[in-house]
Amino acid sequence: MSTRQRVQSRLLQNKLAMAGAVYLVVIVLVAVFAPLLAPHDEVLATRFQDILFEPSGEYWLGTDQVGRDIASRLMFGARYALFAGVEAVSVALIIGIPLGLTIGYFRGWVDRIVMRAVEAVAAVPAIVMAMAIIAGLGTGLTKAMLAVGLVYSMIIARLTRAEVFAAREELYVDGAIASGASNRRVMFRHVLPNVAPALIVQTTLLFASAVLAEAGLSFLGIGASSNQASWGRMLRDAQTSIDRTIWPAIPPGIMVFFTVIAFNVFGDGLRDAFARQARGGRVGVGDVQAAASVTGDHPVRPPNTDALVSVRGLSVVFPRPGTGDDVHVVSGVDLDIGRGQVLALVGESGSGKSITALSLMGLVPDPGLASAASITLDGQELVGMPFDQLRGIRGTQMGVIFQEPFAALNPAYTVGRQVAEPLRYHLGLSKAAARQRVIELFGEVGIPDPATRIDAYPHQFSGGMAQRVVIAMALACEPKLLIADEPTTALDVTVQGQVLDLIGDLARERNMSVLLITHDLGVVADLADDVAVMYAGEIVETGRLVDVFTDPQHPYTEGLISAIPRNEARSGDLATIPGVVPSPWEWPDHCHFADRCAHAVDACRQGPVELRVSKSGSSRCVRLGELELAGVRA
Amino acid sequence: MLRLLIGRLLAAIPLMFLVATLVFFLAQANSVDPAGSILGLDASGEAVEAKRAELGVDRPLLTQYGDWLSNAVRGDLGTNWFNGEEVTTELKDRIPVTIALAFGGLLIAVVVGCSFGVVAGLKAGRWQDRIITVASSLGIAMPNFWIALVLAYYFAVKLGWFPAVWPPGGPEGPLEWIEALVLPSVALGVAASAAIARQTRSAMIGVLQRDYIRTALAKGLPVRRVVSRHAIRNASIPVVTLIGFQVSALLGGSLFVELIFNIPGLGSYGVDAIFRGNVPALLGFVMVIALVVVLVNIALDLSYAWLNPKVRG
Repeated sequence: MSTRQRVQSRLLQNKLAMAGAVYLVVIVLVAVFAPLLAPHDEVLATRFQDILFEPSGEYWLGTDQVGRDIASRLMFGARYALFAGVEAVSVALIIGIPLGLTIGYFRGWVDRIVMRAVEAVAAVPAIVMAMAIIAGLGTGLTKAMLAVGLVYSMIIARLTRAEVFAAREELYVDGAIASGASNRRVMFRHVLPNVAPALIVQTTLLFASAVLAEAGLSFLGIGASSNQASWGRMLRDAQTSIDRTIWPAIPPGIMVFFTVIAFNVFGDGLRDAFARQARGGRVGVGDVQAAASVTGDHPVRPPNTDALVSVRGLSVVFPRPGTGDDVHVVSGVDLDIGRGQVLALVGESGSGKSITALSLMGLVPDPGLASAASITLDGQELVGMPFDQLRGIRGTQMGVIFQEPFAALNPAYTVGRQVAEPLRYHLGLSKAAARQRVIELFGEVGIPDPATRIDAYPHQFSGGMAQRVVIAMALACEPKLLIADEPTTALDVTVQGQVLDLIGDLARERNMSVLLITHDLGVVADLADDVAVMYAGEIVETGRLVDVFTDPQHPYTEGLISAIPRNEARSGDLATIPGVVPSPWEWPDHCHFADRCAHAVDACRQGPVELRVSKSGSSRCVRLGELELAGVRA
Repeated sequence: MLRLLIGRLLAAIPLMFLVATLVFFLAQANSVDPAGSILGLDASGEAVEAKRAELGVDRPLLTQYGDWLSNAVRGDLGTNWFNGEEVTTELKDRIPVTIALAFGGLLIAVVVGCSFGVVAGLKAGRWQDRIITVASSLGIAMPNFWIALVLAYYFAVKLGWFPAVWPPGGPEGPLEWIEALVLPSVALGVAASAAIARQTRSAMIGVLQRDYIRTALAKGLPVRRVVSRHAIRNASIPVVTLIGFQVSALLGGSLFVELIFNIPGLGSYGVDAIFRGNVPALLGFVMVIALVVVLVNIALDLSYAWLNPKVRG
C-alpha cells in the first residue's frame, strides 16, 4: 500500500473526521445554492412589523431586530464564511510557503532577519496584529481577511521553515544537491512533498481560525458590512437586542461553532492519518492476576519454599498492534532464585526477559496483562495481593536497576532527593537522616565526593555514575531481591565491568539475591550462580552456571555461548545465531526455536515442547540427550 | 537565573523596537487624512492645514517616526488626536482593567485546563478522557464573544446574578471587582482552558511512558505521589510554553469581551482607535499589549528554567 492509500484508508475509517468532511461539503453546497435554497432575500427590506419573531412556518428560525429572516441570512452567511476562509488561507499559503521554503533552505542571515520579523508579529496577539493591519488597509470583509491572511502567513512560514530544517537533515536532500540539482528543483521536488503533511493539517486548522476571525472582526464592525449577512455580522446585530432576547444570537453562533468543529476534527483526523502510529499510555501498573494452577495438561509445580523467589506459570499477554488480538509474549515461566544467589536470565532482545522481571514487581506496562499461578517472595504470595500492599513490598523488599540510567532518573529533581524518596516514604526517615543515609549509600556505590554530588541533577553525571545513583536508589531500603535489567548495556564499555563488580560485591555483602537480566552471556560468567535461558517467551534451559556453560543442553544456549565476544576457549563453529527473535504473533505452536535451529528435525515441528529434566537442570529440546552441543571448554 | 533574566530583557528590546516600527508604518498606510476626519467635512482648507500642523502629520514620515520613537522610549506615547489627552495617561487607567480580566481568564484556563488535562491523560482512552477530549474540542470552537453574549443574557439579564455591564465609575472594593469580572473571565477562559487541557493531556501521556515513572513506581510510591511528584512537573514544561501563547490569545480575546460587557479596558480603546484612525492611540495600544506579552513570556522562560534544570546549566 502506498503512503497515500494508507493515509486515505485511515482517514476514511475515522468516523469523526468523515462527519466533519460531510458537514463541510453540505456547507459548501448551501453556500453555492443559497439564492435557490433561502426562502427570503439576504437583505430583506426592513419590515418593522416582523421584528424579533419566533421561529415559524414563514420564518424558520425567526427574524432579527429589523425583521430579516434569520434562516436565509444563515445560508448566505455560509458564503461569507467560506469566502473569508479561502481568502485568508490562500494569502497565508501564497506568502507563507515560499517565505518559509526560502529562509529554511538558505538559512544564515536571510533566515535570521526574516525570523526576527516573524517573532515581532508573533509578539502581538493575532487579532490585534490583524487590527493594526486593518488600520492601514481600511475596513471591510476583503481587507480584513487579507490582514488575517498576512498574520497567518507568519505561522505558515514558521512551520514550513521548521519542516524544511528537518527535511534538510535527511540524506536525500544532500544527495540531490550532490547530483547537481538546482536549488529551486531541490526545494520543490524534494523538500515540499515532505513538508506537505504538516502543511495540509495546519491549513485545515487555519480554516477554522479564519472562520472564527471573520466572525470576530465582523462582530467588532471592521469586517463584513451591515448589508453583508455574515455570521459575525449577525451576532453583532443580535447584540443590539440582547436586552429583549438572546435568540437571534443562537443560530449564527451555532453555525460558527459547528463549522469550526468540522474543520478541527477533519484536521485532527488528517494529522492522525499522517502520524505513523498513535499511542496511548497510562500509568503502567498491571497487577499480576491469579491464573489456574494447571496450564494445558500439566499441573504447575508447587513453589520452591527454600528459594527466596519462586515463580510458577507466569504468562503475559499483550494486544497485538493493529489487530488487538491477545498475544502471549511470556508463557508458562517458572523461576527460582535461591537466597543470596544470583540468577542470570539470558536471551536476545524480544525474548520476554524484561517483561518477566516487571511482572515480578507488578509493573507490567499497560495494556499488558500478567497472570501467574504463584509468585512468592520470602514465603509471601504476591499474586492477587492488593496494589497498596504490593507497593510496600516493591519499595522495601525488591529493588530494581534499569538499562538506561538517564531515562530512569527524573531530570527535574536532584539525585539526592530521588534516592531519599523511598527512605523518607517507606522508612519514615527525617529529611536530615535520609540525607545522611543517601550520602552513605553514595559512598557504598562508589560515587566520589558524595556530600556534594547529592545535590546535582542527573544530567550532570556520566552514564556510569548515573547508574551508580540508580543502584543506590534500588538498595536504599535494603531489599532482599535486586532486579538488574541489562544494567550495563547502555554504559561505556570501560565502566561496564566496574558496575558489574559493584553489583556482585554489594550482593555478597548484603546476602542479597539478584535477578540479572542480560542478552550477553559473557556478562554473567563472573557473577551468576544459576542461569535461565529464555527464548521467544519461554524458558528453554535452566541449570547451574558452570553446567550450562560447559555442557549446554539446548541449541539456543549453544548459540548464545558461541556469540560471547573474545571467548578464546569456545568450540563449535556457530559464531552467531542467524536471524532475530520473531514477533510474538509469529511464534509457532511447536518448538519456538526450530526455525533458527541448526539441529532441527521434523519431530521439532510436531507440537509444543515441554521443559524436561536434563543432566543438571532442565531443557526444552525435543532432541535432549541426542545432541552433542558445544560449550565453553573448562 | 539573574543572567537569564537580564539576557531575556536585553533580547526583548530589539523585539519591541521591531514591533514599534512595523506597526508605525502599517498604521500610516491608511490614506484617510486625520485632520479632515477630526474637523469634519465642512472644515475649511486652512483649518485642516492648521490641524495637520498641530498634529504634526505634515512632517516627513521618518521625522514623525523618529519623534514618536524617541518619546516612546521615555514613556511618552504622544497625544490622542481626538481628545488631546496624553495616550500614556489614558492607557494607565485601562491597563489594570484588562490585566485583571486577562488574569481572571488565565486563572480559569490554568485551573480547569490543567486539572482536566491531567485526568484525561491518566485515563487515556477511557470514558473520562473521551468526555474531556470532546468538551475541549467544543471549547476551542466557540467564539468567546458568543459565549459572552449567552452568559450575559442568562446570568446577567435573566437571572441578575452578575452585573451585565461594568459599574459606572468602575468597581469598588474586591467583591465588586470579582462580581464584575466573573462572567467576562469565564467567557474569555473557555477556549484557553480547552487548549491547555488538550496540551496537558498529551504531555501527561508522553511523560507517563517515560522510564522514570516506572522507576518511581518500582520504588513502591503510591500512584498519587508518582503522578503529582514525578509526572506533573515534567508534563508541565510544554504546557508552560502553551500558556505563553494563551496569554497572547487572552489579551486578543479581551477586545471582544470588553465590548460586550462595556469594560473600559485596552480592547475597547484599541477598537475605537482603529475606527477613528487614531494613530497615536492605536500605536500606544499595540505597544502596551506587546509589552505585556513579552514580559509574560520572560516570566514563563524563567519558570521553564525552574521546571527543567538542564536549561539552568
